[in-house]
Amino acid sequence: MAETKLVTITIDGKAYQVPAGSNLVDAAKWHADNDIPVFCYHPKMAPVGMCRMCVVELGMVEKDRATGEVIMENGQPKVRWMPKLQTACTQVATDGMVVRTDTDKVKAGRESVIEFLLTSHPLDCPICDKGGECPLQNLTMAHGNGVSRMNFADKLKLDKHVPLGDLIYLDEERCIQCARCIRFQDEIVGDDVLAFHERGRRLQIITKSDPGFDTYFSGNTTDICPVGALTTADFRFGARPWELTDVPSICPHDAAGTNISLSTRLDRDFGGRAMIKRVMPRQNEAVNEIWISDRTRFVHHFTRSDDRLQSPMVRRGERLSPTVWNEAIPALAEVLKAANGDVAVLAGGGASNEDLWELRQLLKGLGSERLGAWTTHSGAELLLEVGVGKGSNLGTLGKGDAILVVASDLEEEVPMWYLRVKQAQDRGAFLAVANHRPTRLAEIASQTERKVASQTERKPLVGKSVLYEAGKAAHWLNDLANSDPELYNTLKDAQNLVIIAGAEGLDWDGGRALMQAAANLLIAGGHVGKPNNGLMATLPEANGMGLQYLGYTTQNALDIIKNPPSVLITAQCDPLGDDPTAGSWMSKVNTLITLTLFPDDTTQRAAFALPVQSFAERDGTFINGERRVQRFYTAQGPMGDALPLWEIIARLRERLGQGRAKVSAAAVMLELSNHLPSFNGIRYKDLAQVERQYPDVGGKDLYYGGTAYQNKGGLGVQLPTTADNGSAPTTGTVNLPEVKQAKKGELLLIPTVRLYNRSHIMRPSALIANRVAKPFAALNNADAKKLGIKHGDRVEVRFNGGQATVTAQVSDSTPQGVVFVPRYLADTPTPMVITSASVVKVSDAVAVQ
Amino acid sequence: MSETKHILLRWKDVKADFRKLAEYRKHEGFEGLKKALAAKPEEVIDVVKNSGLRGRGGAGFPTGVKWSFIPKQEPIKYFVVNADESETGTFKDRLIMETNPYQLLEGLLIGAYAIGAHTAYIYLRGEFWDIAAQLDACIEEMRKEGLVGKNILGSGYDCEIYTHLGAGAYICGEETALLNSLEGKLGQPRVRPPFPANKGGGLYGEPTVVNNVETIANVPWIMTHGADAYKAIGTEQSAGTKLYCVSGHVKKPGVYELPFSATFRELLVDICGGPSVEGRSFKALLPSGGSGPIVPLNDKVLDTRMSYEDTAKIGTIIGSASLIVMDDSVDITWVASKVTKFFKHESCGKCTPCREGTYWLDKVIDRIMAGEGSERDITLIENVAKNMAGITLCALGEFAANPIIHTIKQFPDDFKQHVKKDGKAAKPVALPAAGD
Amino acid sequence: MNIIKGFRTTFKHLLEEPVTLQYPEQMRPFEARYKGRHHLRRYENGLEKCIGCALCAAACPADAIWVEAAENTDEERYSPGERYAKTYEINMLRCIFCGYCEDACPTQAIELGHEHQLSFTDRRDAIYTKEMLIDPVPSGGKPTPQKVEAGAFDRAIPDMPDPK
Repeated sequence: MAETKLVTITIDGKAYQVPAGSNLVDAAKWHADNDIPVFCYHPKMAPVGMCRMCVVELGMVEKDRATGEVIMENGQPKVRWMPKLQTACTQVATDGMVVRTDTDKVKAGRESVIEFLLTSHPLDCPICDKGGECPLQNLTMAHGNGVSRMNFADKLKLDKHVPLGDLIYLDEERCIQCARCIRFQDEIVGDDVLAFHERGRRLQIITKSDPGFDTYFSGNTTDICPVGALTTADFRFGARPWELTDVPSICPHDAAGTNISLSTRLDRDFGGRAMIKRVMPRQNEAVNEIWISDRTRFVHHFTRSDDRLQSPMVRRGERLSPTVWNEAIPALAEVLKAANGDVAVLAGGGASNEDLWELRQLLKGLGSERLGAWTTHSGAELLLEVGVGKGSNLGTLGKGDAILVVASDLEEEVPMWYLRVKQAQDRGAFLAVANHRPTRLAEIASQTERKVASQTERKPLVGKSVLYEAGKAAHWLNDLANSDPELYNTLKDAQNLVIIAGAEGLDWDGGRALMQAAANLLIAGGHVGKPNNGLMATLPEANGMGLQYLGYTTQNALDIIKNPPSVLITAQCDPLGDDPTAGSWMSKVNTLITLTLFPDDTTQRAAFALPVQSFAERDGTFINGERRVQRFYTAQGPMGDALPLWEIIARLRERLGQGRAKVSAAAVMLELSNHLPSFNGIRYKDLAQVERQYPDVGGKDLYYGGTAYQNKGGLGVQLPTTADNGSAPTTGTVNLPEVKQAKKGELLLIPTVRLYNRSHIMRPSALIANRVAKPFAALNNADAKKLGIKHGDRVEVRFNGGQATVTAQVSDSTPQGVVFVPRYLADTPTPMVITSASVVKVSDAVAVQ
Repeated sequence: MSETKHILLRWKDVKADFRKLAEYRKHEGFEGLKKALAAKPEEVIDVVKNSGLRGRGGAGFPTGVKWSFIPKQEPIKYFVVNADESETGTFKDRLIMETNPYQLLEGLLIGAYAIGAHTAYIYLRGEFWDIAAQLDACIEEMRKEGLVGKNILGSGYDCEIYTHLGAGAYICGEETALLNSLEGKLGQPRVRPPFPANKGGGLYGEPTVVNNVETIANVPWIMTHGADAYKAIGTEQSAGTKLYCVSGHVKKPGVYELPFSATFRELLVDICGGPSVEGRSFKALLPSGGSGPIVPLNDKVLDTRMSYEDTAKIGTIIGSASLIVMDDSVDITWVASKVTKFFKHESCGKCTPCREGTYWLDKVIDRIMAGEGSERDITLIENVAKNMAGITLCALGEFAANPIIHTIKQFPDDFKQHVKKDGKAAKPVALPAAGD
Repeated sequence: MNIIKGFRTTFKHLLEEPVTLQYPEQMRPFEARYKGRHHLRRYENGLEKCIGCALCAAACPADAIWVEAAENTDEERYSPGERYAKTYEINMLRCIFCGYCEDACPTQAIELGHEHQLSFTDRRDAIYTKEMLIDPVPSGGKPTPQKVEAGAFDRAIPDMPDPK
């Protein structure tokens, strides 16, 4: 980044060196530790100067026009003061600026703004969810008069319970019209769904979308709301903020590794145990800044769902019956001993590094190395070589840089990356999006201008959206230099290049080929081994990267499928629920042991079903898609007899004579990092390191950044790639697989990912139930016509291993010859990889009431 | 005043129908544009600068200076005419547009040429839909004669003119709110800097000049007759003539074009014929509609020239020259209430002091109006108004505070007679009878 | 001599009215400000004054109060405004009867009464629940939850004085 010129500004008589052009509120806070009070200003958004709270006295040191010398007066530089108070948020630091924030005039100005705001603000603090962490409350205490001059009867009475959508409620009385929420949606997310309606004192927030507040980031508006006007349906009246204990944690849903803070409190309804009351963002500028997606915020109910598996189960005849650990562990040990090493593990991305390590050690002790990663993505091993360089931060990509997103619907898969990629484009980065169907990010990429972080200026945006033939992501990227040299060169010659690869429409061979093609492009342009360059993948769940680091691979998984072991352990994955064809090879497994949160399809067939604790109940670490090892802490009371996965295995290993069981996750991590060189010997305490981050949100001045939390739990440690460590990666051969063809008369079924679906983890969150799409299959107009299917008809999709009855969505955006079937929407398992399927009409569309 | 030359209502002097392009061209029409196109843009700006022409929208900012702020190097610039005319008591711009549309359009082209803009907009308030249609027809007439569009008058200069109707909001007369509205956004003012003349501050973020209709309509005459001829009219610091809109308690209300050197007496007594009802005398004057400070209409005021500098001496402004005259039957408390209600209705709601302040003021004045107020309420509204005035985002907040601050200052007794005495409710404010 | 002096004192007190009360048969009258066990008050119409704000719990120096709130609806209304106390418990073993809860209450919902004879045979019995603390429904009032007219009780703190 270019060096910024420093200028001298004087705040309350003291001179400070600050970067030229920095916002005065930010500069005063960061450099002078002077909290200028604000309501409408937010460090992540362009200033609008609406609330007038940040007024200061502003002047300029006068200079002689001819000589440019500072004019002195009584030994002091002469200052030309502006006659009126000025809003600090709309000022940028310039040389010679003089600011006074502590004069009577400023105090009177602030006091009057507070008084004006309170004239129509209700006296709701005792019942307001924001009460206790409310910027208006805090600033009233700091700058307010303390006595009201407004007659109580003159107060406005407005609606206090306006649903802006299913998730967010608006209290019109509390709103102070700062427009933070509107601007957040408009400038940061790009989903312009909120607006002001009417004018003057009648000005109100409304939602323009149908369904209301239709965005994946709505919850953030409640954090940045400087009053209690916006509240989440999840937390409304849940607890007073001062009663909450904040536990640092990591979002368990996707590869972004969003830093969160679990606000917990003891609860009668949860047997007096600590319970997650709400999920709040925790600042990590390199990962999620101060934002979280609605899935991260609202999907936490599964951790205490009664549907969870709560005691170890052992199969007795046809039925699984509950048992206790002291019986289950010895029985398991017997089974494993009897297997004579014919044991394998399939692990999902929900298992932590500690869990994976213990499993790996267990297998090693039993003489097996069959560690399979149960994931739709392959080629993750390349991320260890050419993954984004250490020190990368999507938040710093901008002009001259390029991002390619391929074979992924990023908004649905990793919404946080979607948000950050969109913002990188706002800052001037070139955004290319390639997929076989239109996605929201493709729409973003092809926009030529958007309202970005400036009130009027419309910055031209650079980007391109490409549609390739269904399932041919790897073919497209491999051939890019020939087929679209312009795009190829734009990407290759960019200052920095980040490629985000998904796996939509690809089988494991295709995924591997795509990753290799991406790696080749990166290597060709020298975009490896340095910050802000390299490869990322939308690995499902929170620890897809951890699987790779711990040696769990898709190759092994394929081998397990081909040669099923006598004893198979599934760790936080559900092969039978994910893959309709899994039954055929699973039947060859003699003993199935499953470690799971929920009694799922795999549990139905298991000989042992062992309840594991969710991320909220235990300590552990995840590695996010940018290879950042991040720690989560115990927040919630445990469910039933569930144990941390690592602990179950540790006890089992002790029984098998593999050494004393470790007593803490930290001890497991210690052993892990001592043995795996790629972990660089990191300890839990390294992961807990924090440093001051810009902007300085959280802390005592909630008004500045909203109630996003200061990071006290650790920023995590990013693991270096082999390229970072100096070994120059070489381009590899892309083994282009044959693209799957539909059988005669059938269509090519391509599974897609939806953010909100009906997986076991989602279902307990009733709040989002309305946002979950009804099960559907997307068809092309021409195909539908041929099959005699109309939009909205009930159809049956038949594929190898099963069928699903869904609603047909017919449009032109689906390519011909393809049927898109989102995963985890239908009642029955649908394919997890591309396959051939037939679509048959079942009944006509039912008229919707 | 017999020798008064009309500049804006020139058709009065030559007795011609300027609504017809041919008639207008017969009487010096588009001569100014020809002259301007023959000169360099900077020369045009210099002529306007030297003429002493000041913005007629109210602020009185020198027009030539405003034009010279536009950065030359920027490729895209816009010229916008503010025809939102929504100040209380103002009806001058519509007269120009209705009777002399081509002079406005000619001035607009000269201005656009001077700043190097190739697109110009006329932003009209929503109620002016018929005028907009008329202007559109005029523009089409001009197109036929090569006066608009590509290669105007063979000079190689291109300029397209569009009319745009607002949705009826006072705030859209504020230039940045007008730009927002023109862009299709909510009509709320923007923060400055950047100013409209700067990159990032104008229409679609490009440098933009926003001028009032009356200002622009002066420009063709200045180009035709030269800066010195214009400067000779009016006073030292207020060159030219002004359209004065007179309403209220005078015999002959209406729009009158007079040089700035004319006094209030000449206008209100000599021309408008004094108080409308025999036996009553002048009490108060709002010289610039609801937004300017009220003054008692006494001999001192009557003998003041209606120029920018002279009105400042008596503690008010000439602003857009919408003179609202009140005789001694008017209770000033009612005036304060009426104007406050207007600003409460028109406040855009963007900034706190104006949104909350106008609402609060209205509530307290209502109380005083009903005879339920106390002495404390008078000091309260005065204090609230002063608090507003210092820190609002745009001028509307200042305007909204003015009626309170100045009515209390100039007519304290009118308020005091309505406040509660010894805990008993006082006489409510009598509303003026219809037709009065 | 000294012994006579001593007996004189004894005799003097022997004839005095004794100060001892035969508690519990006899009771000393309470001062109005006496702080005994808590009561949760109701409005005349039967609605609970407590709005579940938990300020009493925050003010409590002994951490004796536990409040869990929930949302009112017009169909099922417990208190005016949006919030009511779903759970309200005071642990009388912890309570030091300081009255801070009373001071903190924005709706005068909690008041310390004169009842002081609290004894328990089990520690768990010392936890007084909302049902034990709340006043009976006054005559003319209805028990909670009530079904009320929409918008009739939309303010948590119904009365505020105007500035003097």
